[in-house]
Amino acid sequence: MKLFSSSRVSRFSFASVPERVGWGLLAAALLLYPLVLSGPFYRDIGVTFLLAAISASAWNIVGGYAGQVSVGHSMFFGLGAYTPLLFYTLWGWPPLAGLPVAVLLSIGLALVIGQPTFRLTGHYFSMATIAVAELIRIFTGTWDLVGAAIGLQGPATARSLWDLTFRSELPYYYMFLAVLALLLATTAVVERRRFGFYLRAIKASERAAKSLGVPVRQTKMQALALSAAFTSVTGSLYVIKTGFIDPDSGFGILISVQMVIVAALGGAGTLLGPLMGALILVPLQTTTNSWFGGGGSGLTYILYGGIIVLIARFVPGGLFELWHRVAPHFRTRAHAA
Amino acid sequence: MLLEATNVSKAFDEFFAVRDADLSVAEGEIIGLIGPNGAGKSTFFNCLAGETVPTAGRIVFAGTDMTRASSETHARAGIGRTFQVPDTFVDMTVLDNVMVGAFLRHPHRNDARDHARRIVELTGLRPDQPGRSLGTPGRKRLGIARALATEPRLLLLDESLAGLTPGELRDAIALIRRIHDMGVTLVIVEHIMEVIMTLTKRVLVFNQGHVIASGTPEAVVNDAAVIEAYLGRRHREREHRG
Repeated sequence: MKLFSSSRVSRFSFASVPERVGWGLLAAALLLYPLVLSGPFYRDIGVTFLLAAISASAWNIVGGYAGQVSVGHSMFFGLGAYTPLLFYTLWGWPPLAGLPVAVLLSIGLALVIGQPTFRLTGHYFSMATIAVAELIRIFTGTWDLVGAAIGLQGPATARSLWDLTFRSELPYYYMFLAVLALLLATTAVVERRRFGFYLRAIKASERAAKSLGVPVRQTKMQALALSAAFTSVTGSLYVIKTGFIDPDSGFGILISVQMVIVAALGGAGTLLGPLMGALILVPLQTTTNSWFGGGGSGLTYILYGGIIVLIARFVPGGLFELWHRVAPHFRTRAHAA
Repeated sequence: MLLEATNVSKAFDEFFAVRDADLSVAEGEIIGLIGPNGAGKSTFFNCLAGETVPTAGRIVFAGTDMTRASSETHARAGIGRTFQVPDTFVDMTVLDNVMVGAFLRHPHRNDARDHARRIVELTGLRPDQPGRSLGTPGRKRLGIARALATEPRLLLLDESLAGLTPGELRDAIALIRRIHDMGVTLVIVEHIMEVIMTLTKRVLVFNQGHVIASGTPEAVVNDAAVIEAYLGRRHREREHRG
């Protein structure tokens, strides 16, 4: 798929000093952000940004690195969101207890869904993933056990610390930041190992990858399972914070589309691309929402559509590619000066 | 025999791209496959590489029946291949491209990188060059390097030398000789007769899905059926002029 092809060749490594400094600065900025901009509005943006970055980074493993553009990742997000609240509703357990179960269920779902959908490639694969996610959404909307169209609710007030129900956004912010750090570290390890090489080879040419002995189907399945696991964690984190889920906010197509757009905007198949995409898209979305309020709910679709057109037309590799195109000019100017 | 293909046919509905083709390759040989465009060489080649499953016939490699095995299994068994249109991993450097092949026998990154470096050096490419920036000759050479990194016993080269300048062609022939000297058996699909005449001791000629002749390059180029089907009038004229 052209939209996600990147001409960026160099990969992240801990070797160079400027990169280490860059990572240090990024970590410091993320750690200090909610302390410096401590108003609830800014903290809310921070938490939303982290959720978007985590889900897009999780999608990035299979959609970016392996080039298998799933537009149905909401199925894993929704599973991650529903399971903790189902645990609470049925047995009164803290929602957190449902998180590991949701991860296992999502991996299982990935393995089941991957079998038929990975027989398809390109747009057909994308469409199949949309179909599966939509089926799950519609089914959830009619299933009484999971609240049907009304959905499920979590504990209104904290019964114990295990409920992770806080008034302040601050604990959520650092909890999500820790998950993001874990995900990025995992992705960085994947990038450097055989698995990462195989993913990028599959993205470029399955035929050539197979001829070199790459177990294509198995590698794609592993990537989908890993991606599903982290996407599921995002869903669980989301409900632990909001305490509410319904079919649209769990399995809705906008959830999937947002993951794709955030990753593609920053640079799919790059470590920090999804982070960069979230950094731009989340404030943009929050601003348009606050300008237009409830009346502008359809605007999100227009915004997403516009971004897809712009990325596909001008920077198929996302902003990271743009940076790699522009950066040499700056360097030349600096040298000239 | 290292590779034994018997009565291999591949039909697409009514149309036979390959019909009853036989090929035996002994360890250490270099064999040429020639024929006009659309003669069935590439289809036969794809059958040997596991990309296409033959409609009929049997392919045995090193004592194992590979007729229906996937191309991944072929690579694991020791059959490497290149592509007529090189499928370069364009977002990766030359070294990373070759590492993908090297990982097959060297699962650890450092071992794979060391092995890939040696192969890249042998093929005369620049390890840090982006795949995207390579021209067609570079991409074809990279295709050879990548396949070689899987440490094949048999290497199938699909028009790897087409479109090269005379100087590049000399280098490429020398490279193939070096690969052969490493103990790799080769089957080469090629249009350039100079390559066939220089490198191979045995040639199979395809026409309309059939093997119409086989033998030494000298015998084959003088075969009346081959001259008619492939080399044609231009060759005869050249012979007269000569």
